[in-house]
This record gives sequence, C-alpha cells and structure tokens, in this order.
Amino acid sequence: MKVVRTLAVCVAIAAPAAMAQSWEVGGGVGGGFYTSRDVTNPTGSASAKIQTNIAASAWLDNHSSGRWAGELRYDYGRGDLALSQNGTQATFAGETHAMHYDVQWRFASQEAAIQPFVSGGAGVKIYRGTGTEAIYQPLSNFALLSKVQDLTALAVAGGGVNIRLTDHLTLRAEVHDFLTPFPNKVFAPAAGAKVGGWIQDIVPMVGLSFSK
Amino acid sequence: MLRKALHNRWMVAIAGAVLMTAGAMAGTFGKAVAIGGEAADLALDEARGVLYVANFTANRIDVMSLKDNLVHTSINVAPQPSSISLSPDGHWLAIAHFGNNAAPSSPNNVLTLIDLTANNAKQTFALGSPPLGVAFGIDNRALVVTTTSFTLFDPTTGAVTTLQTMTQVAAQTLPQPLASFPGNIVQASLAVSGDGLHIYGLGDNILEFRYDVATQGIAAHNYTFSPPAGPRAVSVNQDGSLATMAWAVFDSQFNDLAQFSNAVGLLSVGTTLLDTSRQAIYAQMPPQGTTATVNNVAPLLQVLDWDNLTARETLQLPENLTGKSVLSSDASTMYGISDSGVLVLPVGGLNQVPRLVASAEDMIFRGNFCDRSVATQTLTITDPGGGNTPFTITPSAAGVTVSPSSGITPAVIKVSVDPNVFQGKTGTSVVALTLTSNVAVNVPNPVRLLINSQQPDQRGSIVDVPGKIVGLLADPKRLQYYVMRQDKNQVLVFDGTNNTLKATLRTCATPRGMTVTYDQQSLLIGCDNAQMIWSYDLDSFLPGRLIPTPGNYVQSIASSSNAILAHMRAVGSPNPGLARIDPVALTTTMLPTLGVYQNKLALDSVLTGTPSGSKIFVASTDGNVLLYDANSNSFTASRQDFSSLGGAFAASAFDQYVVGNNLLNSSLTPVTQLDSSSGISSGFAFISGSSLRTTAPDSASPGVIQRVNMINGSGIRPTRMVEAPLLGASTSGPGPGTTCTTVSGSATSTETCVNGNTVTTTICTTSSSSSGTSTQTCNTQTSTSQSASTIATSAFTQTLAVLYDQSAIISATTSGFTVLPWTYDAAVAPPSIAAVVSAADGKSPVAPGGLITIFGSQLNPTNLATKQIPVPTALGNSCITVNGQPMPIIFVSPTQINAQMPFQAIGDTVIVVHTPGGVSDNYNLTIQPTAPAVFLSASAGPLTNLPTVLKADTGLLVTDSDPVHRGDTLVIYVTGLGQVSPSVDNGLPSPGDPLAIALSVPTVSLGDVDLPVLYAGLAPGEVGVYQINVQVPGSAPQGLSVPLVINQGAGFNTFNLRVVQ
Repeated sequence: MKVVRTLAVCVAIAAPAAMAQSWEVGGGVGGGFYTSRDVTNPTGSASAKIQTNIAASAWLDNHSSGRWAGELRYDYGRGDLALSQNGTQATFAGETHAMHYDVQWRFASQEAAIQPFVSGGAGVKIYRGTGTEAIYQPLSNFALLSKVQDLTALAVAGGGVNIRLTDHLTLRAEVHDFLTPFPNKVFAPAAGAKVGGWIQDIVPMVGLSFSK
Repeated sequence: MLRKALHNRWMVAIAGAVLMTAGAMAGTFGKAVAIGGEAADLALDEARGVLYVANFTANRIDVMSLKDNLVHTSINVAPQPSSISLSPDGHWLAIAHFGNNAAPSSPNNVLTLIDLTANNAKQTFALGSPPLGVAFGIDNRALVVTTTSFTLFDPTTGAVTTLQTMTQVAAQTLPQPLASFPGNIVQASLAVSGDGLHIYGLGDNILEFRYDVATQGIAAHNYTFSPPAGPRAVSVNQDGSLATMAWAVFDSQFNDLAQFSNAVGLLSVGTTLLDTSRQAIYAQMPPQGTTATVNNVAPLLQVLDWDNLTARETLQLPENLTGKSVLSSDASTMYGISDSGVLVLPVGGLNQVPRLVASAEDMIFRGNFCDRSVATQTLTITDPGGGNTPFTITPSAAGVTVSPSSGITPAVIKVSVDPNVFQGKTGTSVVALTLTSNVAVNVPNPVRLLINSQQPDQRGSIVDVPGKIVGLLADPKRLQYYVMRQDKNQVLVFDGTNNTLKATLRTCATPRGMTVTYDQQSLLIGCDNAQMIWSYDLDSFLPGRLIPTPGNYVQSIASSSNAILAHMRAVGSPNPGLARIDPVALTTTMLPTLGVYQNKLALDSVLTGTPSGSKIFVASTDGNVLLYDANSNSFTASRQDFSSLGGAFAASAFDQYVVGNNLLNSSLTPVTQLDSSSGISSGFAFISGSSLRTTAPDSASPGVIQRVNMINGSGIRPTRMVEAPLLGASTSGPGPGTTCTTVSGSATSTETCVNGNTVTTTICTTSSSSSGTSTQTCNTQTSTSQSASTIATSAFTQTLAVLYDQSAIISATTSGFTVLPWTYDAAVAPPSIAAVVSAADGKSPVAPGGLITIFGSQLNPTNLATKQIPVPTALGNSCITVNGQPMPIIFVSPTQINAQMPFQAIGDTVIVVHTPGGVSDNYNLTIQPTAPAVFLSASAGPLTNLPTVLKADTGLLVTDSDPVHRGDTLVIYVTGLGQVSPSVDNGLPSPGDPLAIALSVPTVSLGDVDLPVLYAGLAPGEVGVYQINVQVPGSAPQGLSVPLVINQGAGFNTFNLRVVQ
C-alpha cells in the first residue's frame, strides 16, 4: 500500500506537465545491471548487490516543442538481493519500483525517421525484499537481507534512439542509469558492519510507443 | 449445558454397565457363520457379493452373502468338495473333490467345473489321484494338484496339460475316525498371489511348491516341519514374494524368513493370512496345550508384522479358525474357515470394535531417602478407536492402589504406591496392573509397575526398558551400546553419553544373539525363529542385506578376526552345531567338524569373541567349553570339566575366559573359582586387564557388582546395586527376568510373578479343620500374550557391558538396565552446592514452579536425563529437598542438576542435595514469588544462546535474519512466572484445558512500546516451562537491537531483538 501511495503522489506532481501538447505512451522490457557495494566489518568485507534482473517500464511523454519532451516513467525490476564473500553467498528475492520524471531532448524532429535523444530526471525508487526469511542467513555478520522496503531518492540519466515505424508507432532503444543511495534497510548492516554510498543500475531496454 | 453433559456421562456409564453385565457373552472379535457341516475351502466372489464355502461333509458349495453374512443358497456337488477356486474373470468355479475311498468303496476323485455365467451349469471330470487342491492363475487356467501330478486345466476348452509328475504323495483314505476335520483328511492347501501370477501350495509332510503362471514353472521340494506343518493353510501376498505356509513365512525361494515359535502343528486349528496393504499377518497359532478337538485354550487372533512376526494386537475369537482364510480386496474383511463354518472378521474396522490399551508399558516408582510419601502417577486407558469401553484395572500386590479401579475409556487412572509397604524390599519389586473387560475384544498387555527404594549404599541409576531384555553389548569404538529386546524383536541403541535411546533396530523373529563384526562396522543379529541373520551399519543404522541360514536358527553368534561363528539350532536335527557366517558372500556354512572334534554341541550353547579378535570362546550347558583360534583357523581346546554350566560368559584379550563362576586359562583349564557368596553369576566383563562381574541371590534382591581378583577369584569391594541383574533360565528359578511379589495374609497368600508380558498369579488358601490339621489349596492362573510366550531363554546371560572409554558400566537389570560410573566403588565425597539459578539462562533468580539449575560438585556420579512423567524426585543417586520437600529432577551430572522448584517453595528456603556420598551443606536461598527468565536456545553454531522467542505463525525462532515484524504474534518461552491457576502438581505437565494461567500477569515492552499480553502461564504439556504470548503493534520501534523487557512483580528480564517493518 505504501508503494501505491508513493507512486500516486508522483503521478499527481507530474500531471500538470502533461496537460498539453501531443502525447506518447509506451512500454519496454530489458535487463538491469547493478553495481555492488562492499559491506565491511572488523573481520573483512562482503559484496552486496542486486543480481542481474529483468526490467520493465511504462512511460507517458508530452512533446511541448519540436525537440523537447517531458516523460513520466515507471520502472519495475526483479532481481535477488545478494551478499557474497569468498564463495559464500546469501540471496533473498527482491524487486524494485521507480517513478521518475525525465526531460528529454531529441537530436531530430518528431517527424524524423530516426530520433536520437538524451534524457535526465529524478524521482524515487523503492527496493523491496520479498523472499522468505530464515532463522539463519549466511554472512549475517555483514548484513541481513530482510523482507522490508526501502524508499530512496533517484537520479536518472539516459539516452537512446526512437525509430519511427509508422506515423503513430515508434520503436525505442535506450539505456538508463539509475542512481540511488545504497538501500540499507533491505541490506541491513549487522552490528559493527558498515555500508554506504550510492549504487547504479544500468538498464538497457527496447520498447514501443504510440503517439497521437 | 453442564447438566446435559452430566446426563450424557451417566448415560454412557449406564450403557457401559449394561455392556459389562452382558459382557460374559461378548468380548470377542468377529462373527461365526454356521454352515451345518465342515468347511474345507473358501473362494471370494466380490463381483457377485458372495463367498463360496466348500462344505466338505455336506457335499455342497454354500453361497454366503457378503452383505448379511448369511448362506442364502447352496450348490449341490459331488462328495467331499475339498478345494475351490474362482477364475479371475469370474466365469468359472473349480472344485476338487477328495474321494480317496478305501476298499471296498471305489475312489471318487473328481473335479467339478461350474459355469457361473450359465446358471451354474456343472461339468465333472475324473481325476486319477486324490486332489490336493485347485487354484486359478491370472490366465484363467486352473492348476490342479493331485498326489501324483501338477496339471493345468483350461475350463474353456477342457484341455488338460500335465506339467509335472511326482512320486505319489501319501494321502489319507476315507473313512476317517470320528471328529476328523478336512484339514486332517486332505492335509493340503493352495493359495494364489493377489496379482494372480504365483500359486503356492502345501501338501502333506513332504511337499511344498510354487507355481509361476507366466512360465508355467513349478518349484517343488520336500520339506521338514517339526512339529507338523499345521495349520494346513497357505496365504500369499500381492506380488507373490511372500507366503505363509503352516507356521512359517517364506520368500519366493522358500527361505524361512520368520516362524511362530511353540507352534503345536495341529493341521486343523489356526490360520495365517497375509495382508499386503498393512504389511501384516493375521494368525491364529494355537499354543502349546491346544488339542484339535477340545477348546481348552482361548482362541486368539494376532495381528503381526509380516517380516518378523512382532505382535501388534491380540484379539479374542469366538471360536477356532481351522484352515485357510481369505481377505477382501479392500482388506476390510477377513473370512476364515472355522469350527462352525466361516468366521467373518472385520480386520479393517478395528477402530469400530471395543479395545483397551494403556498409555504405558511400564511405570517406575523410585522411592528415595528424600521422599517417603505415597507416590502417584497417572495412567491413561483408552480405546484406540476412540470408543467408550468399560474396563477394570487390578494391581497384583498390596501397597499399590488404583483409582478408579474401573471405568469407561478414555480414563485417567491414578496409580499410587505406598513406599512404606515396600520399605523392606531392597531390590525392585514388580507389580502387574491387569486390564480386563467383558466387552473389549483385544487382550491388553498388563502394565508393569517397577517399585524401587534405593538405599544410600546402593549404586547405579535405573533406566526403564519395557519388555524382555536378553542381551547387552557395548560398541567397541562408539559411545553407544545395544540392548536386545526379544519380545518386540528389537535391538535398542542407547547413547552412552546420556543413556537415552538413540535408535531402534528391528530384528528377525526372536533375536538370541548379536555381535559386532571385526571391522567394527556392522551389527549382526541372529534369531531363534528365522533362518536369516539381520545386519545393520553401526554409523547410519541402515539395514544391511540378510544372510540366509538355510535350515538353521542362530542361538548365539560371535566375531573374530578370521571368522564369524554362530551356534545353530537345526531343523529336525538332534545335533546343533557351529556354522561359519560370511556376511560378504551372504552364506552360512555348517562346519563339518570342529577341527579334530565333532560338530555337536548342546542346544543351549553360547559364543563370545575376545576383544582382540583372536579367539572365540564357546560354552555349553552340558559343561563343555571350546576354543576357536582365529590365527590357526582351528579349534584348539575342548574340555568338559563341569557337569553343567550357566550364567555369565566372557573372553579376555589375554587368553582368560569366564563362564559362570569359573575362570579358565588359555587351554580352557579351570584355574580358579570366583567367589559365589554374593549370589548367582549374571554378568562378567574383562576390561584392560581388570574385570568386573555382577551377581544376585535372586531377581528380587539388589545385585552385587564387584571387581575380581583374577589370581584367586575373590571379589574386590562388592557393592550393592540398585536392583538385580538378569539371571539365566536354569539358575534363577522362575526364569530370566521373572520377578515375584508375595503378599501374605492370615489365611491366604498371593504370589505374582511377572516376566515380560506374562503374569502368573498363584493364590494359596490355608484352611484348618476341627481336628487341627490345615490344608493349603493353591490355584495358579497365567495371563500371557502369545508374543511373550514365544520368548527363547538361555541358562547363559550377557548382562554386563563397559563403554569403550570406560565412562560407564551398563548392567541389564530387572527394570531394563542400570548405569554405574566406572568409579562406582570409589569413596564418594559429599555433594556441595555452589549456586542455584534459573535453568532458563543459568543466571537469573528462581521462582516457585520454575526450572532451576544447581551448580556444584559431587552432585551425582554420572550424567543421566529422564523423560519420565511425573518427573521423579530422585534421579541417578541424587535427590534434593527444599525446606524438606522433595524436588522433581530432570537431569543430573557430577556438577549440575536441573530440577523443578516446587510451587510451595517461597521466601527463605534451605536446599539440600542427598547422594550416596552424603548430604550437602544447607544452601540458603530466598525465593521471590516471580522471577521471569527467558530460555536461551541450545542450538549449535551461531544460533546458540538466543532468547527462545518464536513467531506464532511459523513456529520459528526469532533471529536477526528472521526478525520481528510489526504485527507479529510472538511466543516467549520462559520460566519463573510463579504460581498459576488452576494449580498444577509438582513434576506434572501443565494441562491444555484449562490452561494454567500465571497469577501475576507480566508486562512486556518492546523499546518503549507496551505489547499486549495475550497469554501468560504454563506451556501446555511442559513441566516448569511457561510461555508469554504477545502481539507486536504497528508502532513498535524498529532497530537491530530493540530491548524486550518482561516485568513481573519484583522480577524482570530483558534481552534484545531485531525489529523491522
């Protein structure tokens, strides 16, 4: 419920920007590739990351001028939380939900057959542990993989290309870099352990959009 | 509501009383259907809902309805229908007629074929010889066995194919004397497997066979049955891999897997029937004393395990079964030929018939010098089917009372023992509680009460093992030992570190001998009623492959570095002897000679190997001793210096041997006599150059354990044991393991002897005449379940074992076994108490009713735990008082005792520990009304010492990786919550209904948030363990280490938990 509530707030904030001009709706699928962070304790360190995962996205674009567009976007990712050290690994099922608003600048006009673009924006990302907790977890002296959710700030940068297939149908290929603080609730550091910094999620994706 | 409940209860009581009144006519299982003649065979036609009964003397086939079990129609056939079979397609009924008429009459041996699809049209075919039986295979062709041939009869074409001829089998001729039955006349039976692929048969004394339908092959051979192969009934399991024939169970190779002991071999009394779905055998096996024509022994049907004939249940029959039985395809109903005709037995509906069972085989009452009050324990009597069955329970001796002494199941019986009545007894008194009912159809085993009042000078801790113990063996390299329980066909593996049961190994029927192989990896078990040796891996306890012993039964078995030898009882042979067992090749080879000696030994002979594996020592009751040398693979010594031998037997690694009270040298020459003043020899053990032995004057006295001076045979520091070691058959009078109790009055005396499940009561009444002469009249009654009556006994006893690390001595004794420390005879210092704390965490204060730990020194000689309920007030050689009140004890060791603080102990108290070493100094302790303490987990590794807080929905322990979530319900296991309502007696588990709620309700907080307490009180079914159930609200603080605090009165306990969303 908290996830739904958060996303609804984001939609409400972004809605005024999408109240004019032409519209484009689309969706895509791809994969997510996370960077890892080291969790340290006095005895050593373990690597924490979200394993390579599937990703899906839906977007709503508003083209306010020839080259600029605003894009309200939802991204879903599913991948196990993982903690590893010297061949020992602990995993825990997890998923992410992101809602962000990006500004997009296209290198070609809307009528061009091929429209390279870059984008950047911000929003929120929720990390959720969805696995089954067990009374013992390997590497629990570093971090505890937990069935909780972690709401973090999100910065997004990306780029790609739109290929017009018809007047209303466009194929999109793109790459996004999602940057958030390390989710230290789903990866809760154990007593005496530390982890911090940011993690990146590089998401290549292909999709289709319909414009009117 | 209450009134209605009371009314209903009275109605049940009245109904029970009525049933009890009518019980003289009830209490049997099944219904007899009279057919007005003698039934010879049965065929079940479930498609038509009928049972065909071959009425041998009325010359007809009676057709009994399966709905009402009445004979509605009959089919007249030729004289003496002796065997019938229904074709699998339901088309044909074949009937063999035994017409072996003696001159001047002519033989009239015929086969009748009835077409059940054509208005029972009949055809008759002449047979050249008297038929032994007929049976259809799955191919719808009938195997007809006569005294001269096996023929295959095709009912469709009428074609007859002779499969095999044989030398004529003898057959009875007609007429026969009065009161002869079909089983005596025909002397044959055939049965087909459930899949129709295999037909087994049993003819007269020289023929048993198997016919395989697929190959049309016949495996037939002569056999030796002694006594005769009766009852003359055959049964086969679903796939033909097992068959019961007469009183034995065979595999498809005719290996004798198990057999009934003490069978009398009557051809026309009893039955056996295999039930594949339950892996069971239903059997009436008439015991010794049964005759064919007189119903002098109550007919009993046993339900047995099909691989080793362990009795599951014994049921009383209305009349004798007299031959073959058949089972319905859904295994719900057994139909057996019986005295009247047919017995219909709803074996699949046992839960619908009244039965009785007690909740315990044994009840042990340990009096002690801390507690001389009347001890009470509870026993639950139930009907396994959940019914309300009336019963009466009767103790066999004074000093034992039961309340109520009769009732209706389910019922909880309070069994009380007045220790003052048994005060003069220094060993263990055995009293039987006999269950009777006029309604119940089963024969409930008596409950054995073991009453022991250990004196300070008596050493050892009793471990109760119900049943008949006949062997004891310590593992040569593992801290475990093996106890052979013969009545249940088991070897019990006990953990040497705490003397608790570690594993139960099933054995062949009536185990008599066991040995650990020289590689110390396997345990071999030989049996008196199976031609198979069973084996187990001693690390995994997985069963190994069976070792056949064709034609022979193991009496004793021993291992050496070169050979495994077994003493064998041979079928029908007067000369038992030794065989060599090869556990790899799975062979048994009777030795043609024993070196230069003949291979002839007395039946009761025993073997034991030296620890080094160099020798095997053999001793016989006729006084012979024999030595096998593994190095030379020969028998190097044989002597007979004694007229008889019995008692303990042992072999040392230093070429010394003991049998009874005799010490022999390496040539088996007697070198000295052991001291016999302490009683009859029971156990002997050579240990690293020293030795131990146990003796007892009789089974009711405390035994004596002593070290032995091997130079002159004298005992060193003889020490009284807590109870007597088991004594051999010929040396103890009533028999091994038999304990007698005598209660004498002015005019009557009652002696009750209990041995396993057998209770013999002798009541003698003395009357005086006016002339002054007195006359004593004695009446003896024996209550014996058949499983107990089959027990094999020996004059030799193997009752003493020492763990390989010498951490404990085990002696098989009256109650099971007794554990003694290696230093049992050392001077013992008095106990000393260092601290008394909560058992939950080993540091918190204690409270009434809670579990406590006493730390100190010399608290007990050995480690010992108990699961006995109620928790005993003495364990091992220790007991504790608090302000003079005995304390229930759960665990004892030299430095620690775990116990329950009595609910009555509060305020300033004095705690004292009593041991054989003396009495501790007073330990003064102030006990608060409450002192909550959370139990810490005892799991190994990273989960050790975590507070025992469980999530109610999963039952899993709360840990950092499985943390508390908001909304969870938690169950916190604690002790020290103090008094409860309703009150619970010390040492008894808490009831589940009503719950025993803590009088002082604790408060529980998580962080700074109070948690609603859903329940606080004793945990149902536990002794001294409480639980607090709390709800975690949504406002509970999160964190890796959130303090949970329990406050109750002046006491509190705190620990940290991880809490997340």
